[in-house]
Amino acid sequence: MERIKTFFHRLFIPHEENNFRAKSLHTDFLTVYLVVAFLMMIAFKQGSIHNVLGFATDISVEKLAQLTNEQRQKNNLPPLSVNSALSLAAQKKAENMFQENYWSHYSPEGKTPWDFILGAGYKYEFAGENLAKNFLFSSGVVDAWMNSPTHRENLLKKDYTEVGYAIVNGILNGEQTTLVVQEFGKPIDSSFAPPSVQASEITQNVGAVPAVKPIIEKRSEQIVEQKAVQPKINPLNFTFNLNIIFMVFLLLALVLDFYFASKFNVLRIAGKNTAHILFIVFILIGLFMSTIGAII
Amino acid sequence: MAKHFYSSLKKEFKNHLLDYLLLITAGIFFLILLNTFRGQRIIEFFVLVSFAFFYIVWGVFHHIVNETLHLKTVVEYILIAFIIIFLLKIIILP
Repeated sequence: MERIKTFFHRLFIPHEENNFRAKSLHTDFLTVYLVVAFLMMIAFKQGSIHNVLGFATDISVEKLAQLTNEQRQKNNLPPLSVNSALSLAAQKKAENMFQENYWSHYSPEGKTPWDFILGAGYKYEFAGENLAKNFLFSSGVVDAWMNSPTHRENLLKKDYTEVGYAIVNGILNGEQTTLVVQEFGKPIDSSFAPPSVQASEITQNVGAVPAVKPIIEKRSEQIVEQKAVQPKINPLNFTFNLNIIFMVFLLLALVLDFYFASKFNVLRIAGKNTAHILFIVFILIGLFMSTIGAII
Repeated sequence: MAKHFYSSLKKEFKNHLLDYLLLITAGIFFLILLNTFRGQRIIEFFVLVSFAFFYIVWGVFHHIVNETLHLKTVVEYILIAFIIIFLLKIIILP
């Protein structure tokens, strides 16, 4: 017990034995942290290149569907069931965005979300699309959609009964990107007569739109429900938590060192703990902000 | 403990008000830029690296002004800045 006490005393409290600076903040300790951080960075990069670690996000179709339905249930709306044709449409849309290198609801060649939905053999009465990129966690995606009026409208539209998702990694505008595509729909029921004249086209953010196109022949494509391969421990989630633990450890060491050094009026050659604390606090806030991607 | 910590912190900020205001302004600017370029990972990483380098320069400048500059001190700022860059690189640019 005494040895543990001495160990922590040396690690965090500035006194004669650690040259009046918490051992955990000594240059040799900081060098060890640097080497570990560098090795982690290399290992993660290698893992991503060889696809050993799986997706560089912790987003899954199951979680997105669960969170979307939770939001609908909170608003007294029926849950949406995952439809494989809509998932295929979402997958094709994401692939097309990578192929043609665009971040929009409409492709440079003029393809609309409805082209992908109809192309997947889904005959709709109502349909809509939400897009997101570079989020780290499923909850961040759904929260961002809920905070945007147009996306929220899609999520909570009572006309929709089904949904499809795709989470696809690729290179967009020269950078590694994780795209999330969410396609909503309500299948046309057999008694519904499709309009013979096209209704007005939508102009802005894609929201729910009525069926505006002639219904195409249903294709006999084999549709496999898109599902992200999720390892038991997601490496990104693990690294994210490790980063937070390490920064909190560093903050604790800096705060204790600052407190005891000022209490004992210790004069020493060292960096300013207050500056280090401020820097790490800003970085921690930035770390949480970097989990949030972009939506359209 | 909290009272003593708070008064020491206050004293430190009061003694170097302009320096800390500069660091806090840079920190706020860093967060605004991160928010502006949300989802654009390369720019986010560039913003992070810029802030980390600013922090090193701030440290050197602060210790020059206070005539407490020492190689060990500079190394300390560089080490902390690079630890943060390497750790956040994994999250921002996996």
